[in-house]
Amino acid sequence: MASEPYLYSAPALILIVTVMLVPLVIGISYAFRDMTLLDPFSGGFIGLDHFRAIAKDKTFWLALKNTVYWTGYSVALQFLFGLILALLLDKPFYGRGLAQALCFLPWAVPSFLSGLNWAMLFNPVVGPIPHWLYGLGLMSAPDNLLSSPTHAMWGPIIANVWWGIPFFAITLLAALQSIPRDLYEAAAIDGATPFQRFRSITLPFLAPTIAITVMLRTVWIANFADLIVVMTNGGPADRTQIVASYIFTQAFRRLDFGYASAIAMVLLALLLVYSMLIVLLRQTLLRER
Amino acid sequence: MASIDITDVRKAYGAVKILHGVDLTIQDGEFVVLVGPSGCGKSTLLRMIAGLEDISAGEIKIGGKRVNELDPKDRDIAMVFQSYALYPHMTVAGNMSYSLRLRKTAKEKIAKAISGAAEKLSLTPLMERRPKALSGGQRQRVAMGRAIVRKPKAFLFDEPLSNLDARLREHMRGEIKKLHQDLGATSIYVTHDQIEAMTLADRIVAMNAGIVQQVGSPLDLYDRPANLFVAGFMGSPAMNMFEGVYRVANGGSVELAQGIVVPLAGPASTADGTKVTLGIRPEHVVVGKDLAGGLAAEIDLVEPTGFGTILHSRAFGRDVKAFSLERGLAERGDTVSVSFPVERIHLFDTASGSRIG
Repeated sequence: MASEPYLYSAPALILIVTVMLVPLVIGISYAFRDMTLLDPFSGGFIGLDHFRAIAKDKTFWLALKNTVYWTGYSVALQFLFGLILALLLDKPFYGRGLAQALCFLPWAVPSFLSGLNWAMLFNPVVGPIPHWLYGLGLMSAPDNLLSSPTHAMWGPIIANVWWGIPFFAITLLAALQSIPRDLYEAAAIDGATPFQRFRSITLPFLAPTIAITVMLRTVWIANFADLIVVMTNGGPADRTQIVASYIFTQAFRRLDFGYASAIAMVLLALLLVYSMLIVLLRQTLLRER
Repeated sequence: MASIDITDVRKAYGAVKILHGVDLTIQDGEFVVLVGPSGCGKSTLLRMIAGLEDISAGEIKIGGKRVNELDPKDRDIAMVFQSYALYPHMTVAGNMSYSLRLRKTAKEKIAKAISGAAEKLSLTPLMERRPKALSGGQRQRVAMGRAIVRKPKAFLFDEPLSNLDARLREHMRGEIKKLHQDLGATSIYVTHDQIEAMTLADRIVAMNAGIVQQVGSPLDLYDRPANLFVAGFMGSPAMNMFEGVYRVANGGSVELAQGIVVPLAGPASTADGTKVTLGIRPEHVVVGKDLAGGLAAEIDLVEPTGFGTILHSRAFGRDVKAFSLERGLAERGDTVSVSFPVERIHLFDTASGSRIG
């Protein structure tokens, strides 16, 4: 029977289709329909109306700008500190095993818990950070950073950096440890200073890993609304609203699933384009080896 | 070019002692091979000369200048690694010129140096390739090229041929020897392969357990091993060793198992009744029929090597190996007569291991 192989794979295929493809298609279809949960007469096809609305939606554009800001600084700082941590942990020292375990601990903390913790730390009533910043002269009064109209985004960014450093540290450390030691020795004999060794051996070896981890983290962080929802809920006045949290607000606060779905599609398209670029970059880097 | 002086150099990792005081002087332009089994400290000594390992005690001088505190780059040495350690993202030319570029050498000078080295090592057509597109032998040559463009005071080789197959190893051995004859550079070469040591060295340093066992020309070590370790390590198939007791009677002889007495060429410098070990190389064991003073031996294994034949036999309850260029000397199960020519016998004190005759 020619269809026999298909029958064997049918259970898996049916499962994938029902739990993944069907919801995906329905979700995409929402973007083109008027779907408001509290309106029993909604559900009609409205074409590209949602997308036209997005184009004129000031909050969306602000959220998009905030997303770039949030993602850019979070990834850059996570990467920088993750790399420094990985380089430190790569050198043998007494108690390295314990230090490694401790450094990777934040990764194990649920994101919303770490968000709540940081929100408390930033709160001048219970937390020390505003008083330290005031003491250092960085703030004119011990106010809550999270309610600052200009710098509120730095609250979730700092929490995110703390939480995400271990990811970079782990992956970069693994990549570092795969670099043959005798390359460094050969370079030391050839006359390379530690910085020259870093530049001409460590970086080229790390480049493909850097490309893939930065891409993964960028996509995750751009979609990562937990910390923002927990810490600021997008406020004050949408100053910390990113696209992902805006989608959350639209869908589950205003219950406008159609509009939320349309925004999600825009975000998906942007991230797809970005990922393609990084994949191309990584392949160029790997070919160079 | 420079001489290298090593004075009472020691290495310890915490309580674990790796080198127990090495003294060695390497003349300008000499090719010295450090040989010994794994873990004997030969690579550690080489890495200490290179500056890749700290010197726990003692002094190393290169060209008369103390280098203990100098970084590898300031010692003006070049090293060829077992893994070659080529920079994978640089071309052959990039690998070879890296050290010169770091020293900010003029472009024309670099081009001249690397094209000269490439010529010498027949790498010219490969200059724009990356290491992954090269065969093992080619990589090995690039590693050597990288070393020679620098014109360093000394070359250090850390088992450079171990990753090559047997035929290529033999070929590269020849290349290295020719290169040394060409350049006349002071070279220190680490290997566990005694054939490499014998063929390449001006002088061999045999090491075991962190102690230098013997220093001398290859044939010195082969013909007059200073102790049981060197006797057993150099030569393949390995030297026959029989434990026995020294007897002063009859101008010196050794009493082996089952009351067998082997005469010596002359009296040894030890007392009657001392436990000694008699050594004789397989190629010096004479195999025949009814030899005068021969010992009866039963052949239990015949190994033809093409070049010659290794005969494994059993005599006076001991294994006796013989190597002969003649073929068809004996078959398995034959009873033959073996004898040990007196002038070929090495005698060692069993307790101390030192040569006594």
